[in-house]
Amino acid sequence: MSEQRRIELEPAWVLHHRPFRDSSEIVELFTREYGRVAAVARGSRRPGRRRESLEPFRPMLVSCRGNGELQTLTAAEPRGPSLRTTGQRLLSMFYLNELLLRLLQKHDAHPETFADYERALAELGAGKPEAAVLRVFEKRLLNAMGYGLNLIADTEGQPLAADGMYRYVPELGAVPLHEGGDQGLLVRGSSLLALAAEELDDEQTLRELRHVLQRTLDIYLGGRPLKSREVLRAMRAGGPAGEILAE
Amino acid sequence: MNYSPLLARLIEALRCLPGVGPKSAQRMAFHLLERDREGAGRLAAALQEAMSKVGHCARCRMLSESELCTICASSSRDGSTLCVVETPADVVAVENAAGYSGRYFVLMGHLSPLDGIGPDELGMDQLERLLKEGVVREVILATNPTVEGEATAHFIAERCRMHGIRASRIAHGVPMGGELEYVDSGTLSHAFAGRQAIADVS
Repeated sequence: MSEQRRIELEPAWVLHHRPFRDSSEIVELFTREYGRVAAVARGSRRPGRRRESLEPFRPMLVSCRGNGELQTLTAAEPRGPSLRTTGQRLLSMFYLNELLLRLLQKHDAHPETFADYERALAELGAGKPEAAVLRVFEKRLLNAMGYGLNLIADTEGQPLAADGMYRYVPELGAVPLHEGGDQGLLVRGSSLLALAAEELDDEQTLRELRHVLQRTLDIYLGGRPLKSREVLRAMRAGGPAGEILAE
Repeated sequence: MNYSPLLARLIEALRCLPGVGPKSAQRMAFHLLERDREGAGRLAAALQEAMSKVGHCARCRMLSESELCTICASSSRDGSTLCVVETPADVVAVENAAGYSGRYFVLMGHLSPLDGIGPDELGMDQLERLLKEGVVREVILATNPTVEGEATAHFIAERCRMHGIRASRIAHGVPMGGELEYVDSGTLSHAFAGRQAIADVS
């Protein structure tokens, strides 16, 4: 039998929760020191019991025990006020959650991603431009996974030039345009440098980077599309939402 | 224990009810067979008929066996207010709380981007058609005060704005007879943000 794992009052965020049996739910948690953890919250859906604290986008302290894939949530308390956000920004936050759920392995600690996630949520909550926040988070997440973009030099080893044009090929890097070929996405050197510096403001830069990052993320998502992206696309069909994530 | 095949099938079938495990299913099955065969017959007939006939109201998606549910068909209901809720149980809750005389729209869920539940799954095109008719003046968003419920409410409010229809959100706050000390911080901060002036004090 494997060793009993015990998590005591660990800073965490709920990424997702789904009903389990009649009165319980399975909560997907993202903890600072233990990475992603799935736990059963027994009785959390029983009538009359408040379950407000087991919601996404609310900082929590959680305790779990158990030794399998699925642990048991023994305690959960708020670590601070929940982020009061509505609408479109909430959808961007759901998108962050789905990225973490799909790209991080369970029990793989990523304290730096935990900090990046908290920062991204806080920035979205504070009204910073959504697209820029998401692009920086995507870049940092790829770095943390060990698949970071090369934003320093092109494939010939030359430093990226702000006035240069490149084709960005995921897993290879920025190919200078004069090399020919038709692979990859057309991107300006200045856009890649802006992502390196995390100073994203103009629209064209954000558009180029959205394509580059999306194409790169798609490789690690293993061909299954992100559901939050599809929902956004469906929402855009009749409303103003969706420009930020969907193509 | 080896039940006879039909008994085993009945017990297994009863377990589809919420909160019913093997033990309760066995108790129910024995009760019906030993003591109340007549009741069991009525139950079977009612189940059969309900399952084959009850569908959704063409207007509000509430469970109903006629094309329009009783609320939509009623002429005494005010068609200019539309209350949007997540489930049929929510319709019953709002009805029992009394005081509401408008019509409903039942989403049968909420936006849940991570489960792939988007506008199409919630009958948003149907709601859009209702809004376009031009009868509705106000949409009351009574989705649950969860993150998903908020996202849903916001999305519908956005659509209402495009049609020039007023959208309002139900208030969240301290429960009646509750004590502030035991109210969770999220609800309390909502209650403070949504405080109201006491009108009749001048």
